Amino acid sequence: MEILQAKNLKKSFGSFAAVDDVSFALKEGEILGFLGPNGAGKTTTIQMLLGALTPSSGDVFYFGKNLNHHREEILEEVNFSSTYTNLPWDLTVWENLRFISYLYKIENRKKRVEEIIEIFKLKELRKQRIQELSAGQVTRVNVAKAFINYPKVLLLDEPTASLDPDVASYIREFILKERKQFKVSIVFTSHNMAEVEELCDRVIFINHGKIISDDTPENLARTIEVCHIELLVPKDLEKLKHYCESEHLKYKMAGKHITIDIKEKVIPAFLNALAGQKIDYLEISIEKPTLEDYFLRNSAKI
Amino acid sequence: MKLHRIWGVILRYNYLFKHSLDRQVDAFYWPTVDLVLWGITSTYLAQQSKSIPFAVLMVVSGIVLWIILWRGQYEFTVNILEDMWNKNLINMFASPLKLSEWIAAFITLGIVKASVSVSFAALMAFILYKVNLFSYGFMLLPYLFLLLMTGWWVGLFVGGLIVRFGGKVQNFAWSMVFLIAPFSAIYYPLAALPGWAQKVALFVPSSYVFEGARQAILHGTINGLDIGMAFCLNVLYLIFAFFFFKKSFKKVLQKGLVKLY
Repeated sequence: MEILQAKNLKKSFGSFAAVDDVSFALKEGEILGFLGPNGAGKTTTIQMLLGALTPSSGDVFYFGKNLNHHREEILEEVNFSSTYTNLPWDLTVWENLRFISYLYKIENRKKRVEEIIEIFKLKELRKQRIQELSAGQVTRVNVAKAFINYPKVLLLDEPTASLDPDVASYIREFILKERKQFKVSIVFTSHNMAEVEELCDRVIFINHGKIISDDTPENLARTIEVCHIELLVPKDLEKLKHYCESEHLKYKMAGKHITIDIKEKVIPAFLNALAGQKIDYLEISIEKPTLEDYFLRNSAKI
Repeated sequence: MKLHRIWGVILRYNYLFKHSLDRQVDAFYWPTVDLVLWGITSTYLAQQSKSIPFAVLMVVSGIVLWIILWRGQYEFTVNILEDMWNKNLINMFASPLKLSEWIAAFITLGIVKASVSVSFAALMAFILYKVNLFSYGFMLLPYLFLLLMTGWWVGLFVGGLIVRFGGKVQNFAWSMVFLIAPFSAIYYPLAALPGWAQKVALFVPSSYVFEGARQAILHGTINGLDIGMAFCLNVLYLIFAFFFFKKSFKKVLQKGLVKLY
């Protein structure tokens, strides 16, 4: 079942098209990664999905209902966390969660706020004002706030930015648990490609406001043909360098290590050639293309 | 409208009030300063000239009543600013909160905080100048309500400007209401204004209120016509201000709530 549908979303600021004809759907329990370089249109799209920005044209549907006409009913089931927004900095963590809990239909608000404080390990911070917290702690409170209303759809805009690795990992685990347990559907943006690969079932790559691709992280990475081969070459490094240059292969040197960019399908022929040229190596590691390679190629190209 | 959401917004601004020295100063310090300065000035003038027999009473009651109007608009304008500065509007409006519920919260806060501020100022007036505004009891109630209404439309209008134009016009939150102050005849009778200003005052509801309240305090009579005129003008301006505010909010949604500072 499609939980969220964006249909032909467009947003222009004057002559600049921030989002240009973006359409996609999110299924129940799906985690959809939204990737793209800075200024690609990710945050603008998320704002439109929240009703916090009016599209120039196009529509947003949740549970088959138009956000424009069923705003109150829909937003009861949706929440978000973004690095681009703040919580009132004069209020304590507990006060923020408490007042926000009243904006939603929640049965036992007091209990829910305590649960959220417990889940996100905010006990020690509960009496601290937002302005007294570190960037990572603020991010944690922001993510905690997003779960307060038991949302069916979550829009998480860089939710783990500036978090310590252990906290980020804990939050990723929590997101996966929530998805498994309650079939929460999530739109997720991040600049951490490993995180996107770990969490997302599907990735939409957006640039200059347009969707460039929409596929699984594995399939997107597969579109990059170039692998990285790292070799430890104790004696024949110069010979290997010359060979790479003659074959127009890109390489990087670091001590006795050399990393060569090469298409996956020609790796066997390359290794045979090394044997033929009597170039000895002690260690070899082959790094397959990742989502990060895809991101780098597409961000640079466009 | 859902009461729990209105209560959520009220909680947010009450927590802010609890923590913010600025907001507390606005509620108690400035009214006290006004009362002390203008009270002493009017006491001195009354001692110098017997021709203004009720100078202290007129000025002190004017100050106390003005607090209601000022407070009514302040709850709109300054709280909107606080949420703009805090980038919190998106947290509120990415929730099911409706614009009408936000406004209802401001109105409720205006009533509660105006009651607190006015009670405090009236108490100070009694302690400092033996002016007992509590003794006029229910006679002043309609005027108090009309002043709150004026505060609401001023607040909605200025709030609309702030929402529309952002931080560039943030000073309006404190200053704009004083545009109607000279025409409201707060401390002096309407007749003291020059002819052109008296004509302008005809369109300012608070001018009827201050004239009427003075009459009630000094002579113990209520002028129904003043009350009626003030009420009608207030309703008219409230309708206009509400639509202006709504339109401004719609306009800012085209820019995005995140970009609003």
